[in-house]
Amino acid sequence: MWHLMPGQALACREWDGEAVLYNDLSGNTHLLDGAALDLLFALRDEPADAAGLAGRLAERFDAGDDDLVSLIDEMLAALAGLDLIEPC
Amino acid sequence: MLTVGSLSRAELAARLSGDGLVLRTGPFINRIRSDVAPLIDSVALMYADYPVEPVGGFVDFHLELRRSGGLRRWYKSQVHFAYDGTTPFQPLPLAQAYPMLEWTMNWCVSHRAHGYLIVHAAVLEKHGRAIILPAPPGSGKSTLTAALLGHGWRLLSDEMTLVRLDDGVVVPLPRPVSLKNTSIDIIRAFRPDAVLSRPVEETTKGTIAHLKAPGASIARALEPARPACIVFPRWEAGAAIALEPLPKARAFMQVADNCFNYQVLGARGFTALGGLIDASDAYTFRYSSLPEAMALFERLVLGDA
Repeated sequence: MWHLMPGQALACREWDGEAVLYNDLSGNTHLLDGAALDLLFALRDEPADAAGLAGRLAERFDAGDDDLVSLIDEMLAALAGLDLIEPC
Repeated sequence: MLTVGSLSRAELAARLSGDGLVLRTGPFINRIRSDVAPLIDSVALMYADYPVEPVGGFVDFHLELRRSGGLRRWYKSQVHFAYDGTTPFQPLPLAQAYPMLEWTMNWCVSHRAHGYLIVHAAVLEKHGRAIILPAPPGSGKSTLTAALLGHGWRLLSDEMTLVRLDDGVVVPLPRPVSLKNTSIDIIRAFRPDAVLSRPVEETTKGTIAHLKAPGASIARALEPARPACIVFPRWEAGAAIALEPLPKARAFMQVADNCFNYQVLGARGFTALGGLIDASDAYTFRYSSLPEAMALFERLVLGDA
């Protein structure tokens, strides 16, 4: 299971399917796909794993069911690498 | 209103070597003190139209440029810069005193004026719409700026675009435009009316000359402008003119990379830059011909590009 890193306010702006996000912990700004932003907001609402997120966000991703969980897994690892989320 | 141009050379020299020349540039008050004689003529030429404020009032930046003491005063004399009693720069040869004054004035703004998001960019205005040109050195930003200034554009800044954090408007800081190397002769040929400072060779940036800011731009220095476009220019020999839309999120990241204080401002900088990107169309722009580029900017500012 993953949850949003405490202290992240998710200050962000989205234009045409791409987003920028201010990282409150590092002070960096990240360029993200709009779908990655959806994952972050979903994890802010409640902790989840990749399978749970795949069920909630299937329509936002252009991937088959089998691929979707592994795709979300990869995105979660990348978001964790930016200190935006952490395991719980 | 007292201006530098209304002071005699003797009065100007007395202020610089005494309590200081208190010079208003855009929203800032600079108190400049110096005993470097060649600086007097450059300041008299380039800052003739700028307001002089009385001594003793509020000052944003205290700058001091002094000649070397001791043997250095007579052999390979240098100029030393002090800011509020600190010396953040290495001394430079005396001949570079005027470019050094410009660089130190830029340094004061970029390191201290954190009521603004400061983008390393030229910014010009026409018909109430400001076009921002962020670009690294060598992109042709200053050459293009200098060319446009001869054709009715207002100079807000050649080097630092000040986006006010409170309301997102661009606050002017019209100062001399820095031209480097081949740009100097290009602008001399393109604008025979241009007033340039004496070129200074062998600086860290090559040969430098400054173009005097238009009097009309200085007169409107307290009048902000609304941002309309952000254009990333790139001069390329022989290239066909090309203006390509830049997706806004990518424009955000590229402008952030060109800011002096985006990291310093933290979340406030993020909010301010988001507002700037909201208000502006963003483009990449490649050109080789100044007249073609100028014609395109005329269309761009009318929203017709």
